[in-house]
Formats: sequence, C-alpha cells, structure tokens
Amino acid sequence: MACVYIPVQNSEEEVRVALDQLPRDASDILDILKAEQAPLDLWLIIAREYFKQGKIEQFRQILEEGSSPEIDEYYADVRYERIAILNALGAYYSYLGKIETKQREKEDHFILATQYYNKASRIDMHEPSTWVGKGQLLLAKGDVEQASAAFKIVLDGDRDNVPALLGQGCVQFNRGRYSDSLELYKFDVAIMNFGKRALQVYPNSPGAVRLGLGLCRYKLGQFEKARQAFQRVLQASESIDPENVEALVALGIMDLQTNEAAGIQKGMEEMQRAFEIYPYCAMALNYLANHFFFTGQHFLVEQLTETALAVTNHGPTKSHSYYNLARSYHSKGDYEKAGLYYMASVKESNKPREFVLPYYGLGQVQLKLGDFRSSLSNFEKVLEVYPENCESLKAVGHIYVQLGQTEKALELLRKATKIDPRDAQAFLELGELLILSDAGAALDAFKTARGLLKRGGEEVPIELLNNIGVLHFERGEFELAEQTFKEALGDGIWLAFMDGKIEFSAIDSSVSTRQYKDIELFQRLEEDGVSMELPWDKVTTVFNHARLLEQLHDTEKASILYRLILFKYPDYIDAYLRLAAIAKERNNIQLSIELIGDALKVNDKCPNALSMLGNLELKSDDWVKAKDTFRAAREATDGKDSYATLSLGNWNYFAAVRSEKRGPKLEATHLEKAKELYTKVLVQRPANLYAANGAGVVLAEKGHFDVSKDIFTQVQEAASGSIFVQMPDVWINLAHVYFAQGHFALAYQNCLRKFFYNTDTQVLLYLARTHYEAEQWQDCKKTLLRAIHLVPSNYTLRFDAGVAMQKFSASTLQKAKRTADEVRSTVAELKNAVRVFSQLSAASSHHFHGFDEKKIETHVGYCKHLLDAAKVHCEAAEREEQQNRQRLEVARQVTLAEEARRKAEEQRKFQLERRKQEDEVKKMMQQEEHFERIKEQWKSSTPAPKRKDRSQIEQEEGGHSEKRRKGGKRRKKDKSPRPHYDSEEAEADMMDNHEEMEDEDANMMNDQDTNQMNDQDDDGADNAQDLLAAAGLEDSDAEDDVDAPMSAVNRRRRAWSESDEDEPSERQPGSSLNRENSAELPESDGEVREESD
Amino acid sequence: MKLAGLKSVDNAHEESIWAVTWVPATDARPALLLTGSLDETVKLWRPDELVLEGTNTGHCLGVVSVAAHPSGVIAASASLDSFVRVFDVDTNATIATLEAPPSEVWQMQFDPKVRKDNIPARTLIALKSPNRCQASDISLASSVISIHTSLLRKTEFLPYRTDYLKHPGIILAVAGGGSASVKLWDTATWQQIATLSVPRPEGSKPSDKSGSSKFVLSVAWSPDGRRLACGSMDGTISIFDVSRAKFLHHLEGHFMPVRSLAYSPVDTRVLFSASDDAHVHMYDAEGKSLIGAMSGHASWVLSVDVSPDGAALATGSSDRTVRLWDLSMRAAVQTMSNHTDQVWGVAFRPPGGTGVRAGRLVSVSDDKGISLYDYSGM
Repeated sequence: MACVYIPVQNSEEEVRVALDQLPRDASDILDILKAEQAPLDLWLIIAREYFKQGKIEQFRQILEEGSSPEIDEYYADVRYERIAILNALGAYYSYLGKIETKQREKEDHFILATQYYNKASRIDMHEPSTWVGKGQLLLAKGDVEQASAAFKIVLDGDRDNVPALLGQGCVQFNRGRYSDSLELYKFDVAIMNFGKRALQVYPNSPGAVRLGLGLCRYKLGQFEKARQAFQRVLQASESIDPENVEALVALGIMDLQTNEAAGIQKGMEEMQRAFEIYPYCAMALNYLANHFFFTGQHFLVEQLTETALAVTNHGPTKSHSYYNLARSYHSKGDYEKAGLYYMASVKESNKPREFVLPYYGLGQVQLKLGDFRSSLSNFEKVLEVYPENCESLKAVGHIYVQLGQTEKALELLRKATKIDPRDAQAFLELGELLILSDAGAALDAFKTARGLLKRGGEEVPIELLNNIGVLHFERGEFELAEQTFKEALGDGIWLAFMDGKIEFSAIDSSVSTRQYKDIELFQRLEEDGVSMELPWDKVTTVFNHARLLEQLHDTEKASILYRLILFKYPDYIDAYLRLAAIAKERNNIQLSIELIGDALKVNDKCPNALSMLGNLELKSDDWVKAKDTFRAAREATDGKDSYATLSLGNWNYFAAVRSEKRGPKLEATHLEKAKELYTKVLVQRPANLYAANGAGVVLAEKGHFDVSKDIFTQVQEAASGSIFVQMPDVWINLAHVYFAQGHFALAYQNCLRKFFYNTDTQVLLYLARTHYEAEQWQDCKKTLLRAIHLVPSNYTLRFDAGVAMQKFSASTLQKAKRTADEVRSTVAELKNAVRVFSQLSAASSHHFHGFDEKKIETHVGYCKHLLDAAKVHCEAAEREEQQNRQRLEVARQVTLAEEARRKAEEQRKFQLERRKQEDEVKKMMQQEEHFERIKEQWKSSTPAPKRKDRSQIEQEEGGHSEKRRKGGKRRKKDKSPRPHYDSEEAEADMMDNHEEMEDEDANMMNDQDTNQMNDQDDDGADNAQDLLAAAGLEDSDAEDDVDAPMSAVNRRRRAWSESDEDEPSERQPGSSLNRENSAELPESDGEVREESD
Repeated sequence: MKLAGLKSVDNAHEESIWAVTWVPATDARPALLLTGSLDETVKLWRPDELVLEGTNTGHCLGVVSVAAHPSGVIAASASLDSFVRVFDVDTNATIATLEAPPSEVWQMQFDPKVRKDNIPARTLIALKSPNRCQASDISLASSVISIHTSLLRKTEFLPYRTDYLKHPGIILAVAGGGSASVKLWDTATWQQIATLSVPRPEGSKPSDKSGSSKFVLSVAWSPDGRRLACGSMDGTISIFDVSRAKFLHHLEGHFMPVRSLAYSPVDTRVLFSASDDAHVHMYDAEGKSLIGAMSGHASWVLSVDVSPDGAALATGSSDRTVRLWDLSMRAAVQTMSNHTDQVWGVAFRPPGGTGVRAGRLVSVSDDKGISLYDYSGM
C-alpha cells in the first residue's frame, strides 16, 4: 500500500503515513502537517486520498486548512501547490453545484467555487489548470460560450492540454444540441477531433474521454464505433472507474434500441447494473421504468420515476419521467392522474419537436375525458412534428367527428388512408364516418379494410363484417348482405336453424298462436345435447341476419333466430320488438301486445316498445290507453323521439275527425294540436317525411290544397329512394288532393300496384269512387267486384256494387238514344242489383253490417220499379228497332226503283221521296213524344249536381245537425262490418262518414226535393199517379245517390273537400315500419362505434 | 323437384281470372282445364297447348270458384251473385242451379279427389235432378248409370256413409260465406243435405260482430272423404266429421283470412292452409297440431295445392309469384314470376287419364293470363 512520508522538521527523519490508514480525524494529520511544515503537495495528496475514500469532510478540512491565509503567508513562494489546492476546492464545489438540485444551494456552491478559482487566478492568472477549472464551472453553470473562451485560453497556450481539449469537446457537444443537423455533424466531427487528440496525447485518459467519443459516434450514427467506445470505457477504466454509470446507461440504451429480445435483455441488465452502482441516475431510472411499464409492473414504474424526478433537474429527463408516470396511470385507466402527469411532462420539455410522445398521450387522455378542444390542440402539435402520423390523423379525425365537423374529419381520415393505404384501421374509421353521409363510399371503405385485413392474414373483426352486411342490406343487396352476415357469424347453432336442419316437433294448434313466445324448443334441444352457444359479439349480427330474413319474407326463420337471441340474452329488447312486429304483421294482436309487455319488463321506459304498444292499442281501438302510452313514450325520450310526438299528432288528428259530437270547435282544437305536434317534429327533424305528410294532411283538411299538394309532392319525391321508407299514404293523399281539386286521379291505381300488391280494398274503393264520379258505371262496378273478391265479408262493398248497377241502369234508361241491346243489358243489371239488395236484406237478419233494412227494401223496390219500366222501354226499343229496319228496307227498295228509272224523273221523284220520309219522321216524333213522357219520370233522378259543390255545402253545414239522432243510431250498427278487415282502425272514419252522410242526406234531400218540384211543374198533371209513385222512389233514389258515395262508396266524401281523413290511419303502419327498422340499425352502428373507441 | 314453363296464354279472359281447376280425364278425352273470371265467363281449355274448348256464359258478376267432379263429366261454377251452376263439361248443358240464400258461395269441392284408377269403371254419378235439362239427359244417358239414389233418400242424416267411399263425387261441398257454414249438396238429387256450421267462439253473444269474421271462404275434403275442413276470414280452420255432420275442432295459428286449403293426397291427416298472413301452415288436422309454418311470400297467399305424389306444394300469392315448396325441406325451392298480378289459383293435375304420366301445374292470375308448367318430382 502506498505511503507518504512527512519529513520531520530539522531532522533527517520522516513520518510515514500509510494512505489506507489515514486517521479518521483529519485534525491529527493536519496537526502533523502543520507542525512539520510539510510541503503543500503532501497536503494535496492526503486530501485527495480522503476524497477517494469518500471521506469528503476530511478532504474539505485539509484543503480548507491548506488554503487558509496563514498557509498563504507561510508558503507564499510555493505558487503551484497553492493553486492546485484552490483548484481542487473549486472543482469540488463546482461538482457540488452541478449535482445539487436545490437552486439556492446550487448557487451557493457555484459562488464558492468561483471564489476559489478567482483566488487561484490571483496567484497566477496564467495557470492553465485554473482556466480549465473555470471552464468546467462555467459549463456546469450552462454558460457554454464563456466556458469555451476559458478552454480556448488554455489551448492557445498549449494545444495539447488534455483537460482543456476535453472541456472544449464538451462545449461543442453541448452546443451541438441546439444546432441543426449539418452543423451538428460538423461539431461532432470537431468534438471527435478533440477527443482523438486527447487520446493521442494521453492514451490512458479517463473513461470520460472515451465516453464523450462514444456519444459523438452515437450522434453521428456510427453505432458500432460508439458501442466499442462505451465498452472500452468500462474495460479500460476498470482500474480507475469500473463502474462508469454513464457508459453503462449508454450501452444499455443502445442495446435496448436493437429492438431484439436478446438486446433488450442485455440492455436491461446493463441498466440494472447502472442502477445498482448508482441508484440516482435519472436516465437509467427512466429506462428501467420504461421497461417495467411494458412488463406491466406499474408499482415499480411509479417508484422509479418518482426517484428519477427527485434526483434530476434536467428538463427533458424529467419530462421523460413524467411521461412514464403518466403512461402508467393511463394504462391503468386513471385518466385524471395520467392527464396531470402528461401535462407536467409537456410543461417540462415544452418543445413538441424534442419529445412529442406526452402530447400524444395527453391528447388521448383528454379525448377520453371528453375535452375535445384541448385534445385536438395536442394532436395537432403532434401533427406539426409528424404531419403524416396516421394515428394522430385518425385521432384528430375522430375528434372532428365528435365536434360535428364531419367535413374536416373526412378530409383527415382520407389523408390517413392515402398516406398508408394499408392501414385497415383508418379505412374502418373512414367507413364509419361515411355511414351516415355516403353509404356507398362507406361500404367501399369497409370492403377495403376487410381486404387489407384478409391479405394481412388477420382475422376480420365481426363488427366490420356486420357493418358491411348492414350496408349491403340498406342498399337492397340482400344476397351480398346474407353472404356477409354468414361470413361474420361463421359456424354455430344458428346455421342449423337458418338451413332448416333442425326439425321442430309439432305443437298443439291452440298453443301455436303463441309460437313467437316459445323458447322451450331451445331448451329441449339443449337437453338433447345440442349446444346452444351464442357468443355475445355475434348477437348483433344474428339479429341483423334475422332482420334480413324478415325482409326476405322468411319470417319463420327470422322468428327462430330472434327467439334464440332471447333464449340466451333475455334482455335483448329489440328481439322482443321484432317478434311483436311479426305477430302484428300476422294480425296476432294479443301475442304482439304480450311480447311488448315482455320488452317493457326489461325496460319499462323503452320508447320504441311504448310507441309500438301505443300503435297496437290504437289498432285494437283503445284510444285513451294509446294516448297515455304515446305520452309515456314521449316523456321517456324527453320529447326527443319524433315517433312518439308524431303518434300523438296522429292521435289528435284522429280525434279531430272522429270525435263523437263533432263540434267544430273541438275539431279545430284537435287539428291545431295535431299541427302543432307535427310542426314540433319538423323543427327537430326537418327531414321527417311523416311529419311533413301529417302537416300536409292538416293543411288539406283546412282546405289549403295547393300548399298541401306541394308538401305531398315533395314527400313523395323524398320517399322514393330508400327501401326502408315506404309511404303509400303520401301517394294516396296526393291523389286525394288532386281529386278534391276536380282532377280524376289515376294515382290511386298506381298506388295500389306499387304498394299493396293490389290487395288494399280501401284504395280500390277510392278508385271505384273516381269511376263513380266520372260516371263510368261499369268500371266502377268491376272495381267494386274486385274489392268484394278481396274482402268478401265486407257487405258495404256489395251495397256499393248494387248502387253502381242501379245507377248504370238508370243512366242508360235516361239516354235519349239507346239500342235494344243496351236496354236488355240494363234489365240484366237491374236484376243483379235487385238480387244484391235482396241478399243484403236477407243477410241482415244474420249479421249487422250497418244497413237499414228499410233502406235496402227501398232500393229493391226502386230497382224493381225500374225493371218494370225498363220492360216497357225494352219493348219500345225493340219496336223502334223493328220499324227502323222496315223503314230502311223500304228506303232501300225505293232507291232501287229509283235506280231503274233514275234518268226519267230523277229530281221530282226524289222530292217526293223526301216528303214521304218527312212524314215518317213526323210519325216517329209523335212516338218519341209518347216515350218522352215516360222518360220524364226518370228525369228527376238526373245525376245530382256536381259532387264538389255539394261537398262544399256539406262543409258549410258541417256543424248543423238536424238529423243527428238518426245518424247516431245508424252509426252504431255501422260498426260491425268493417273493423275486422280495415287495415287500420277505420272505424273512426266510418262513424264520421256516417255522420256526414247523414248531414249530406239531409242536404241532398232538400236539393232533390226542389229538383223534383221543378220536374213536376214541367211535367204537368198528366199521369199524376205515376208521378207520385215515382216521386216516392225518386226520393229514395236521391238518398241513394248520396248514400252510395258515402256510406257505400266508402263514405270517402271527405276525400274531396276535407281530403284525407284516413291517411293517418294508413300512415301509421308505414311510420311504424320505419320506426321498427330504425330500432335496430342504429343498434348495430352503435356497437361498431363503441368498438372504434 | 322442378317446375318448367310449358305454355302461357295472355288475355285468356277479358278480366281477372279468379278460379281454376282440372277436369279429370274421361275415356273420351284427356283432362281439361276450367277457369272462371271476373268477366262472368267460365272457359274450358285443352292442355298442353291450352286450346280454348268452350266458353260458358250465364253468370252474373264475377266467377269466384270452379269445381270438377272426380268423374270428369260434370263441373260446377259459382259467382258473386251466389248462384252455383252445375253443368255438363262436354256439352255445357246446365244440370242444376243451386242457391242457398242468404248464404253466399265461395269455394266448392266435390268429395274426395280419389285417384281415378280406384274408381270402378263406369261407376259414375247418378243424375236424377229434376232441374236437369234435356240436352244433358241425352248426352249423359250413355255414360251415366244411376245408382243408390234410393239409399241416399232413405236416411236423412247419414245418407252416404256406406256408399261414398266406393263412389266418390256424391257430395258437393260449398263454402257458405257469411252464413259461417259449409253447405253439402247431394249430387244426385241436387238437394241440400246438410249444413256444417262453424260454431261461434264461446262467450260471444250472437249479436256481436263476429258474424263476418267467421265468414267461410275455403273448403277441402280429406282424401278419404271422412273429413271436411273449412277456412274463415278470421283465420280459424274448422274440421268436420262428414259422416256424422259434426264439428270436431278448430285449427288455430292464422289470424288473417284463410283463402285456400288442401289435404295431402298421401296422408289424410295432413292439411295445408294458405292465409293472408303470407304463411302456409302445415297441420295435423286430426291431432290438432301445427306441424310447421312456411314463410317466404311477400303478400297474401291466395291458393295452395299439393302435388299428386305428396312431395311438393304449390302456392299462388298476391306478390305475383307461384312458389314450389319441397315438403321434405319445408322450404321454397322455386319461384315463378311470370305473372304480372296476383295469382289467384294454382292446381296440380290429378293423376290418371290416358297414358299421361307427366305432372302438370296450372296457375291463373289477375293479369288475365293462364300459365301451364311441367312438374317433375325428381
């Protein structure tokens, strides 16, 4: 072991001091040193030894003693040693200042250091080591330029001064940071040169030199050489500094960055070693924390980063530490804390260009916490640095979606997909964004995503396939949709159901009415060992597939799938609703209501279920309940659900046109309310077709035909384009309006073919009505017969047909000219009419179909009367025909004769012939006159004045109700025939119509009476008896006239004047359809959206 | 199994065609087709070329239903005016005009569609109707042997029990519409022999509005002639024991009008029903259970018939299509969309006749057209 020898003053002896046995108390040594006036270099050696042994206090004590004023005085001429002592102290305090974290102490240390150096300079201001020390101090203070100047002074004197060279290298290295890459390169080269020169001069230089060199190599991208340098630091310095933490950390970082398992492993070992050697190296701590973050040991991460934060003051490093901490909390889901630390990290570095990750993290956390604006700004910062970063582009796009700036979002996502056309995720998001705006483009995007995933050998997520399927579905590409759904679902029990492979045992037919509630079959199958597995992520797709089957009319399979869903997931409300819809479609109202009840058991606030229940209650004529239900539905959605509001609007509209007392005031109130509700919906959703339709109806009801026509036309245009929106009502309404304005519309016919497969008798009735108005009796009759064929149990139709036939006959008989054939067919028709009426009257003893038996009797009587009269007509017509024939024969002969002697007396004879003919004509005239008188009897049954006018009158007199009593009575009877068949709750209309009919009856009768009066006047007293009889019948005819259109011809009297009282009823199935559809489609969207988060 | 279009006649009638049936072959001629239309005519067609053989007029209002006697000699047509006209197929001579006021007339069917080869040769029907006109007397005299009329008259209630199995076609069953009953007519005397009434649901007052809901639209005989099924507007199907003229039970499951019924020719228990709810149900009519429900049509199913081999089902619908169903799979195997309007009738040709083995299916529609298809079971 090394020793120093302190010469004893005034003698040859020396005191031997073993360096490894320095006394604990430095005062002992100091006493010796002082007593023996030992040379100052010994002081220094001993102090350094203390330092090496970590005995900092002793080290400081000796040096401070060694630099005291007395020593200065005593050793005044020993300049170098004194400087060395001062420099050692200066270096010591520089170091203290450098590692001190507290700002105040740091300052103090630096001040002390400065003082020592200044003192040293005063002894010899040219001493290079002092300048080097000053340079280091300046470096430590971050004053790079001055430091450089200090080193330069030394190097100017001795260009091979190693410490100065290193110092200058350090300066350059630090400068390099702030320069752009080219300069950086230059500087690095410069540093390298310094470093190399240092090594050349002093090959055994401390590790620091090689370390610096390694760092430079690293910066220049010469990783291999850098690695060698670091390794040599550790090897070479084994004796001096075998545990150079920086070198270890540097090597560790390099190994970690190899990104290979082995490298990372090695890197971590190095880091760990560094940590064991010196637990306060922030860099190593950060990297370790980083590692433990990935291994998921969050507790360690927190510990390490907290230590790192405590030991370092270096902004970027702290930033890293905060980042690590934030990341840890982020992954644990503690977004609040994560956000705070990200924020701290951002604040520490504050330069996105250097360390962008915390901005990204912060953006993510803020996005998660819903702070879109801040999140957006952070992601945008990321994009400033990396404008083509797909993840950030997607994130920003997503935020724009949330902020409702779809255009911007689209732009960004499109950019993202353009930058990386293989990023399936970006296409996925793009597709989701496009779903609402452009289904076609969305489909393309989804398909691309699917293709990419498939090519990449990845499993295509079921959500994606589901969405593709739904989009195909919405576009009406059912086959593609089915394929996609099947692909999404893969193998499972559902396949067996879809392919019909599972046979169901027969069920008792009385139970079969409840088949849509039956899930026992699954239990049975399960008992038989069939697995009923239905993974949760496939439920949506199974549901959608069932919807598709429903659309394809494969209702049975659809119902099985719905039930399968319910068997496994009894809370799946939509499945109940669809089953209820199927039951409703099949007219199984009871079951439908039960299923809705099940749905409400799951969620008694489900607005869809409530709306549907209301609809069903309307269907079963439970008005008050329906209103309550609709109200509940509206409340359940805070009035946001248009459907409930719409239904209430409809309800009010019905109430307006059906109310028992038919007070104009009440009616107006209801109409107003209906209008208000429709308007409310329109304000919320300006594109709501049903609300627009409703508003149109109300307007038409008020007589604003032109406005309502415009509305209907627009709705009609808008409605033709989606497979889910089917609005026959608007077609009918439009037809009604045209009709009301006097255009006989064939729109009914189109409507019938387009929407109802010709099965809607109501529309047939409208059609018959147009024929009736146009006096196309045969067409009218045929149309009615078709209707009867469709709904044979609707006796009203038969009555109408009878009336049509009667009208036909009467009109033929009134014709001035008619052939015998015509009369004969009239007779046949009359016989039919009589038969129809008598059958009705006979049937009325069996059923109640709303006809007054007496009235039918009158019809029968009238027809029979006509029949009798027709016989006379018939004979007359036949006689006339006979005569005509004879006359023609004579004429022909005459012409022949004339031919023979034409030349002779042509002109004169012709004259004669003329006269003869005239005589004949006169005779004819007489006969005609005779018939005319009979005809007069029919005149009174002249077609009534144009309907329109009458309806006008009727409207005016809408309120007055002389005949109310009778109306009421009949109304009750009227109930029976239709309700079963009418597609909707038409009873209301029926009543109204009836009532109205009564009114009109009254009006009409008056009308007719006056007509008759006139007729009578004209006619004179001649044939009074006949007339009287006729008048009585005429009266009945008059009533029929009116009745036919009303009671009979569907009493759509309102069609022209008030327009469309029954549309709303029809509208309902339509709108409910829509509703039901929309119920599950958003469903699937929803799921996907969740997924994308 | 497969359908292949053979021949279509557009504008076969002037108006919608509402009814079609096959008139079984006789010794003198092959099976013919009988169609009834809104244009008030009944037409007779000779397959496979669908040559018009004759046009019967005389009905008022549209012809809603046609039925042919298993012998192929006589047929009946019914119209909206509730008259049934029974006529000789070959001469068009009116044999009887039936009416049961106030009951309407909808579907009709002669009792069992027994395979013709089971019928003893020349054992046809007795026609002793006083209404019968001279012309038919002459034409039928040679081919018709009168039998068992005395027996029929002897007992009031069970007149046909012993006989009808041997001699099909003794009874014509007519769906009685609003009378909520099926009327049975003796084809010998053309007297009404029984009314099978659909019971009103329990608890309902006779005054309620169920009258029209039990409106009977369709009838079908079981192939053994023991059972009669009828379908109503409200969707219920009623099964009757014919020999005792007794209502047995309802088959439930439909809630919309049942417009057509057909028994399987191979299994007398199996009944198929076509309803406005777009479904075809398959019932065990004896066991009172629903065997299966088949969906696929987009609108009302108007007509149903079972192939003679009992393996396939044909349906016609308001959705303008004819569908062929494989009963082993209970799934539609083919959809014909050659019609442009509702398909009111489909009918398989009954087996038998001179050397005709090939299966035939016919369909008629509101589009005024008739289509004939080849049906092959393999």
